[in-house]
Amino acid sequence: MADEFVIVKDLVKSFKDFKAVDGVSFSIFKGEVFGLLGPNGAGKTTTIRMLSTVLEADSGDITIGGHSVKKDAAAVRSIIGVCPQELALYDDLSALDNMVFFGHMAGMDSKTAYTQAMKNLELMGLEDRAKGKISKYSGGMKRRINLAIALMGNPQLLFLDEPTVGIDPQSRNNIFENIQSLQKQGLTVLYTTHYMEEADKLCQRIAIMDGGKIIAMDTPHNLKKQIGNPDKVTLEDVS
Amino acid sequence: MKNLKHIWYIALKDLKIFVQDRPALFFSIVFPFLFVILFNSIMGGVGSKDDRLTLHLTTQETTGGLSYQIIGAIETKDQSALKPGAPIVIWDKNYETDRQAVLDGKLDGFLNFPVDFTQSLTSGSKTELEIFADASATNTRAALQGISGAITSQLNANLAIINASAQLLTMNGATPAEVQAVIQQIQSQVFGNTGAQTSYLSFTTQEVGNVEARNSSNWVIPGYLVMFVFMAAATSAPDIVKERKNNTLERLFSTSAKRESILGGIYTGIALKGLIQIIIFWAAGILIFHVDLGLSPLAVIILSLLMVIMSSAFAVMLATLASSIRSASSLAVITSLILAPLGGCWWPAFLYPEWLQNMAKITPHAWATSAFNKLMVFGADFGDVVWSMVALLVFTVVFGAIAIWQFRVSDR
Repeated sequence: MADEFVIVKDLVKSFKDFKAVDGVSFSIFKGEVFGLLGPNGAGKTTTIRMLSTVLEADSGDITIGGHSVKKDAAAVRSIIGVCPQELALYDDLSALDNMVFFGHMAGMDSKTAYTQAMKNLELMGLEDRAKGKISKYSGGMKRRINLAIALMGNPQLLFLDEPTVGIDPQSRNNIFENIQSLQKQGLTVLYTTHYMEEADKLCQRIAIMDGGKIIAMDTPHNLKKQIGNPDKVTLEDVS
Repeated sequence: MKNLKHIWYIALKDLKIFVQDRPALFFSIVFPFLFVILFNSIMGGVGSKDDRLTLHLTTQETTGGLSYQIIGAIETKDQSALKPGAPIVIWDKNYETDRQAVLDGKLDGFLNFPVDFTQSLTSGSKTELEIFADASATNTRAALQGISGAITSQLNANLAIINASAQLLTMNGATPAEVQAVIQQIQSQVFGNTGAQTSYLSFTTQEVGNVEARNSSNWVIPGYLVMFVFMAAATSAPDIVKERKNNTLERLFSTSAKRESILGGIYTGIALKGLIQIIIFWAAGILIFHVDLGLSPLAVIILSLLMVIMSSAFAVMLATLASSIRSASSLAVITSLILAPLGGCWWPAFLYPEWLQNMAKITPHAWATSAFNKLMVFGADFGDVVWSMVALLVFTVVFGAIAIWQFRVSDR
């Protein structure tokens, strides 16, 4: 894991007077699952939006797979997959149609897109619901499809922005298993969450964000050592 | 090539969603035809036929008079052979019956030849054709006057020939007996005898263009086509806002599809829906409502396509200006319902006062409907509607420029 696949330097983004991201720097090694941990409003999603070329940074540099986001956004887009925090699906289309469509958008021809879509649906355990309309899916199933779409086009880097928010344990486990399996295949992942245990379970390294800044960055083990055991609560009698 | 593929896939996806959306299909395709049928019925019946005038002629002469030959020549023997606009001419045998029918309001009017018609003509005395008609039956009166005018002018011309021939013979020293013999010969040739097969009297009906008279569909359908193509496109604006709100647009933007391809795909999707609409509109218009595209069907087709591309540009612009799905829906309906009547889609704009007609020119609807009316109702040609086409193009460019300038993939 010596190669730095993602390099982020002094990233800044403001919305009017509010500084959402304030001088963030980190790097992600190839094949690594890197976690961005923090409460809501910490700046995790804004960071991912800048990395995925959707939002332009006020300042700072981002390099992904050797391509500068600022100078060669098209090349960056061709090697990334994004699973946004909010479900980004066409409710009136079937899961298969959604996936084939995004496969086309990733540059696949129809046959390849169909094959890949069926493979991803199988991965998510939803192959028997391939032709069902998204509007008829449960929240957990939608989350899985949301992830499956991000994998269309065989990306080298996957952005997962809180992919397990509000879902059932079965779907959560399915997503975890898939992320671990994909990592074994060499996929690099940037995973954001505000659940410590998720980051602990999936990520090799974690950056803790708050107020638009990275306040700590290390392996889960080292971080836990720094902040102590969060499960251990000490009560003092002050009376 | 890759960009074009992206445009096509996005357009195809939107078309698929549209086809699966039954209410949208109903309001875009079926609902406009309910309107057209309703208003077409009010304005003169579905696919109304060519309304012909029926003209009645009588004579008070005895059998063998010249009027018998004239009426026999112009009487309609086979209605199926009549050209568009030609009247049906009926020979009624009884003057008093027709007169009473007019007085009773059962007949609009008739033209009568007096009892001394042939005698007066041949002796050089004056005679008068009588038109007996209801004062309010202006069309029938005008047509009967037209026929009587044609008859009298033709007879006067023939009498002038006879008189001139007589004077010429006299000047050349012919005796009165010789002159009389020649006059009788000319009279017999010109007026003929009863039962003569050929007639000096002929009528021709000139048809201007291919426009059938009084088919209300010729202006009802283009008006509603303009209104509903625009409305269907405008009501696509909330769908674009929805894509922005549910993050699919942002997701698209993070794929290898370029911004211009995404915008082009959305635009093409709306335009394809419009294209389907106009194909159905014109096919049904021609096959069911018997509309006539006029002298320049090409101009009608180009105008329809311009209407589609202009409306699509408007829809994308509306989506970029609206901040929410609800505001996009409201704006789409309001603009459609204001611009349509103002632009002459519900009734002809030439009925408006001049200031309103001038005001209507700020709407693309007015340019489109007036051009369709010129082509399909007033027999205009391609060249007469070029400025309307240019105006629609200008609207397209303006709407499109605003759409490109303001287009965004997210409201965050």
